[in-house]
Order: sequence, then C-alpha cells, then structure tokens
Amino acid sequence: MERKLAQGSHQFLEALGEVDQKLEELQRHVAAMHASCDEAETQLKLTNEASAMLLERAGSLSEERQEVENKKSIVTLFLNRFTLNEEEVEAMTSRDVPIGQRFFQAMDKTERIRTDCRVLMAGRGWTNASRYRLDIMASTSSNLEQGYEKIFRWCSYEFRQMGRDMQVEVEDTMREAIPIRSEALTVLSQVRQATLMSSFLTALTRGGPSGLPRPIELHAHDPMRYVGDMLAWVHQAIAAEREFLESLFGLQADGRMVGSVRKFHEKSEEEDWIRELMDLAVGKLCVPLKIRVQQTIRSQESSIISYKIANLLQFYMITMRRTIGEAAVLSTTLNEITEVAYKAFYDAIETQGRALLRATLDLDDPSLAPPLAILDHAQILREVMNVYESSLLGDEGEEEQTAGFRRILDVTVDPAVEFFTSNSEEKKRLRPRWDREVYVLNCLSYLQSVLEPFPFTTQKLNTLQQVVDTKVLHLTEEHSKNIMADAGIQLIAETCEKHDGSEPMSRIPVTLPAQLQTALRNFSLWLSGLEVVQSPRLSQLTAQRLHIKIHQAALERMARSYQLICEQVKKPENKYEAASTLLGSERPFGQVNLLWQIFGLEGDSSKNQ
Amino acid sequence: MPSEEYETEATELLETYDFLMKYIVIGEAGSGKSCLLHHFTHNSFKDHSQHTIGVEFSSRTVKLGEKRIKLQLWDTAGQERFRSVTRSYYRGAAGALLVYDITNRDSFTNLSRWLTDARALASPHLVCVLVGNKADKDDEREVEWAEASRWAAENDVHFLEASSLTGDNVEAPFLLAARSILLSIESGALDPEKAGSGVSYGDRALRRVYSSSRLSFGSLSQTRKKGTVKLKLIDTYCLGPCNAYPYICYTLPLHSFASYHLLAVK
Repeated sequence: MERKLAQGSHQFLEALGEVDQKLEELQRHVAAMHASCDEAETQLKLTNEASAMLLERAGSLSEERQEVENKKSIVTLFLNRFTLNEEEVEAMTSRDVPIGQRFFQAMDKTERIRTDCRVLMAGRGWTNASRYRLDIMASTSSNLEQGYEKIFRWCSYEFRQMGRDMQVEVEDTMREAIPIRSEALTVLSQVRQATLMSSFLTALTRGGPSGLPRPIELHAHDPMRYVGDMLAWVHQAIAAEREFLESLFGLQADGRMVGSVRKFHEKSEEEDWIRELMDLAVGKLCVPLKIRVQQTIRSQESSIISYKIANLLQFYMITMRRTIGEAAVLSTTLNEITEVAYKAFYDAIETQGRALLRATLDLDDPSLAPPLAILDHAQILREVMNVYESSLLGDEGEEEQTAGFRRILDVTVDPAVEFFTSNSEEKKRLRPRWDREVYVLNCLSYLQSVLEPFPFTTQKLNTLQQVVDTKVLHLTEEHSKNIMADAGIQLIAETCEKHDGSEPMSRIPVTLPAQLQTALRNFSLWLSGLEVVQSPRLSQLTAQRLHIKIHQAALERMARSYQLICEQVKKPENKYEAASTLLGSERPFGQVNLLWQIFGLEGDSSKNQ
Repeated sequence: MPSEEYETEATELLETYDFLMKYIVIGEAGSGKSCLLHHFTHNSFKDHSQHTIGVEFSSRTVKLGEKRIKLQLWDTAGQERFRSVTRSYYRGAAGALLVYDITNRDSFTNLSRWLTDARALASPHLVCVLVGNKADKDDEREVEWAEASRWAAENDVHFLEASSLTGDNVEAPFLLAARSILLSIESGALDPEKAGSGVSYGDRALRRVYSSSRLSFGSLSQTRKKGTVKLKLIDTYCLGPCNAYPYICYTLPLHSFASYHLLAVK
C-alpha cells in the first residue's frame, strides 16, 4: 500500500515534475515573449519616433510644395501678363491666321506688355529687372514688327481689292488697322487714283449701263453742258470719296454739306490724311479734265459762251476751294483753267473791240440811229451782263459787284464810244450835212439804255453821262444859234450883247430901226411856226428827254436875248424913236413875259421878270 | 418716326450697308427742298433757310426691311440761274424727289418742266417721287391733294405730301423711292454692278453674295460672342475660388477647370 502509495506518490512526483518542467518551459517562453514584447515595444517606440520625424518632414514638404505652386501661379500670371502665348504669337506672325479680332487682341496685348514693362521696370530694387525688361522688350518688339509687317501686307492687299470699286465702304477691321501703316495708304491712294480715273473715262466715253445716261463726250458740241457735266461728275466723285475716307478713318461725318465752307482747322492726323488722300485721288483727274476744258475754251468763237464757261469754272473753283481746300491740286487746276477761260473771253471781246474800231460807217446812210455794229456789240454786252448778273450770289457789296465787271465794261464800252466819235468825224468831213452831234448823242444814249438795267454799271454810266453832258452842252449852244438865226434875230441879239454904249444902237447898220422892224417881223413869223414846240433837227434824237432839254435851253436863251433886245431898244441913249411902238408892232409886243408863255416856260417867267 | 429710334440710326452711320443709292432733289426755288433734306438727315427743321447755291450734298443710311441702304443725296438749287449747273447732276441718279410747295401754285404748274428734264438727263430707270411740301400750311393751300395725285398718276410718279416743319412724312418719299429701286433691282431692270446706274452694292451685300447664305453672318457674330464668354472665364479664374480649393485646382487640368466653372457660371 505504502509501496502503492509511494508508487502513487512517485507517479505524482513524476507527473508534477513533468508539469514543473512544462511550467518552467512556459515561464521561459513567457520570459522570451516578454523580452520579445519589450523589444517590440522599443522597436515600436523607435518606429514611432522615426515616423514622427517623417510626418514632420512630409508636412514641411507639402508646405514647400504649396509655396512652389503659389510661385508657379504667380509666374504663370506674370508670364500671361508679360509674354505672349503661342496662339497669340501665331495670330500675329503667321500667314495662316487671318487678320481679325484675334490679331488685334494679340497686337493690343503686345502693346500693353510693353507699356506695363516700362512702368514696372521704372521702379527700383529689382536687380535683374533690366535684364528681364530687355528680354521682354526684345521679344515683343520682334513680334510687333512681324505683326505690323503682316497687317501692312494685308492692308495693301485689301486696299488693292477695295479700291477697285467705285463705291466703297469700310468694315471695322479695316478701320482699326488704318492708323498703323502709311505705306499701305500709299497703295490705297494709288489704287483709288486709278479707279477714279477709269470711272471718269468711262463716264466720259461710255456713259452708264448700256450707254444710258449717255457718255459725257456725246455732248461735247454743247460746251456748257460738256464742261458742266464733267465738273459735276468730279464734284460727285469728291463727295463719295470724302465719305469713304471719313468712314475709313472712323471720323463721324460733321454733318456739313458740300456746298458750305469746310473749316480747315488742323484738328487731327486723320483729317490730314483724308485731305492728302483726297487730293491725290482727285488730283489725277485734273489732267483729262484740263485738256478737255482747255480744248473747249479754245474752240469757242462766241465771246458769250466763253464768258459762260469762265463763269461756270469760277463757280466750281469756289465750290472746290471750300470743299477740298485752296492748296489741293484740283483747286489749283481749276484756278488755272478759269484764268485761261477768262483770258480767252477777254481776248475775244478785245478783238471784238478792235474790230469795231476798224469798221467804217456807210457814208450814204443818212440815218442818225446807232449803226448795226454798235447794236451787235451792245447785244453781246447785254448778254454778258445777264450772265454776270446771274452769277452773282447776292451777298456781294455794290463795290464788289462793280469791281468784278469793270474790266469787261472798259473793254467793251470804251471802243464803242471811240468808234462812234472818231468814225463820225470822218463821215462829217465827207458829208457835211450829216448831223454828227445828234448821231453821237443817239449812240451814247443807246449805250446808256443798254447798261441802265444793271446795277453794277453805275460807274460806267456816270462816265458816259459826263460825255453826254458835254455833248448836250455843245449841241445846246449850236441849236440856240440855229434857232436864233432861223428866227432872224441872231445878228441883232449879238449886237445887243456886244453893244458898249459908244454909239447909239439906232445908228449901227445892223440895228437900224428898219432892220430891227424886219427882224422883229421875222421873229413874229417864226414864233407862229412849229419850231417853237419842237425842233426838226432835235427830233432826230432818240432820247426824247434830250430833245426837250436842249430845245428848252435854247428857247430860254432866245427869250433872254429878246429881253436884252427890248431893254436895249428901250434905253434912251440908244435913241430909238417910239421905242415901244417899234417893239409893240409885232408879237410878242415887247412883252418878255408873253414870250416865256409862248415857249411854255411859265415857271421860269416870273423868276426872270 | 420717334426720335430715339433715329438716334440709334445716327450712330450707325458708319456701319455697313447693302446698297448705295444716289438721289437728286429738284423743284422750283423756295419749295423747301433743302429743308426737307435737312429734316431727313438731321431730324430737325432748318430755320431761316437761304436759297441753295449750286448743289449741296448729304447722306444718310436707312433701313428698309432687312436691307440697309445708304443714300447719297444731292440737293439742287431751284433758281433758274443755276439750271445749267444743276442739270449736270441728274446724270447717275437712281432716284429723284420732285418737290413742290402746296401753298404755291406756280411751283406745281412748273413740275412738268422739271420732270421732263429729269427723264431726259438721268438714267432711264430713274424713280421719281412727287412731294407736296409744307403740308402743315393747309389753310394756305393752293394745290389740292387730288389734283397733284392725278398729275402724279398721269406722269407715272409716286406721290405724297410732307411737312419739313413738323417732320410728317419726311422719311416716306426717300423710303418709297428706295423700295421702288430695290424692286427694279430684283426684277433685273437695274444692275447695281454697272457704273453710272446710280446704285451700287455695299460691302454687306457683297459678302452676302459670296457666302451663299446669311448663315455666315450668324457664324461671324457667334464667334464674337464666344470671345466675350472667354473673357468672363478668365476673370473668374483669376478672382474666383483659387484660394478656396487649391488642391482641386492644381490636380485638375486647366480646361476642365474652365468647363467646371462654365457650369458654375451657368
């Protein structure tokens, strides 16, 4: 039992020993595990530390990255602002990209970059600034240059295209492109010149579609129409051209009408361009215009037509001066041809005047009326005056009006006066009975009547009037002598006038009472004749006014002479017996008063008595 | 026409046009030709108007339906003494406005002379419009509407009465003539391509001819619209939420970002 017990105990011991062994092993394991765990923990701790560093690093890295990104965005912005992207460079330089919005945006941007660059680099503190600036400026300037080159080519091409149409119109792109290149404008100008020229020639020789309206040259036989049509065509072309150029340069039309005066204040470059281009485009037309007008002027025989042409040219000259300025080629050309036209006209009327002087009077023509030569001459003058009057605008002063026509009047009227005064002398010499004085007065009053209706002839009329006045005085003198002789009292009157009282008049042979008696009878007879009322000689005067004036002046003188005779006869020292009976025997019975009445000069009688 | 509408037209003077037409305005002196034109081009009555000397020029662009028409207007002096000058301007006119004064019988009786001149000197397709001016002075009227209308019918011209003082009907004669001219262009009687016809194509019409349809116009304007949208986008990109969503910004390609914002904007 014991043994069994011992055996059992031994078995227990064995088993427990085994357990103990196992436990020991377990403990060893646990210790190992513990060590491992510790190690792991340390390991972990280490790792932890390491990762913390790593995290920190990562954080700083990401911060750095953000900074870099920020920098990048700034740089991108800077680049966007200060450099051109490829697209833009392409737009500016490539031939494939058409001119348009894109191009102009790129050009604008380049310009902006250059401005910004200048501003930015003006500030201090940037060490590398000048280098950057130079870089940017260099690259942009080469781009700009190419851009300009491109737009120049484009403008030239477009101008060549558009210039061909007679009526042109401008699109926005073109308007924006214009300020850029003057060479392109030269091209435009050349094309416009050619276009206007060919349209002008077409209008001259071919006319409108299928010949209607008819070509201008078809009316070359009608000088006024021919010249007028050409000038009107040019005028219309100018208006259209002006509109085209205004829209090309983007100038708002100033609402001015062509006829009114354009004010040439030097307001803008565009205005200068327009003027220059206008001048060039229209100037080309001057050559064909000038040739034709001069040819027309030269071939005119009628001085009236010459004058009309000159007037028309002058009208257009003034209009063009107002429209395109005095310095324009067309204005100077018009000026030139206007002068030529006036010269032709003056030559014509001067020749006419000379021809008039050479003309002779028909010696066998007893008429005292102005001769045909004068009538023709006056007719031309009258028409010229009509033209001149219609050419006046109405705002000229009288002085200006007169000045404008003085030369023509001098050239026409003076030879006429010269003609009938000198030629009549000649005729008078050969035909003494022909009444030269009346004839000259008739011619003068005819000329006056021609000039009178026109206000601008006043000065010439006054000069003529002076000539007339002297002639009238002369004729009055002659006439009064004539009627005194006719009336038979001339000798007696003369003696009365000369009588100095040295000898009684009744002793002088001419005024012996018997002679006086006869003379008074004759006078009485004459008084009952017709000549008292009207003189047959003076009735040849076409101007009734002059007739009356001269005749009355002569009658007045006669009355005074009669009065003198009466006074002398009544004087006792002249020793007439029965002086009152002598005078009273015949009409007007020694009553001067009555004589005035007979002559119809009552108004004067009271004064003279 | 109300003045606001006119104002917008005035600023568009420099714009393109489909046709260019030359008109001449004729009639007795003092019938109000210059005033009529002045009202048409300036939209106001011309006070203290003087006699026209020779010829004067002005222009205006009008709209007739879809067509824009540029009118070059030649105002002539009515006085007899300028007859020889003004006659030269009939050449190459597509339209003529024959103006008389309803308060002046003489200005009406002389019309046939003016019309004969116009028909003889201008192109055979000349369109004439008879305008009885000074319609505001009805109490001084010497020419009845019916009589003038009859005359117009007999002579194959259009007719209406207008007043340069009040502006009544001032535009109508110009538009009436333009319509007639357009009709004869359409019928083929008048060819704007030929010189001296008084009508010519504007650039707009040329473009239309070359581009087979008006769609090209549409596309042209559309490209312009695109341009403006682009500008807007750039704005939002610079000022917009760059700072708020930096990471997203950087990870997305630029164009998709733009489209994202396009949506946002929309």
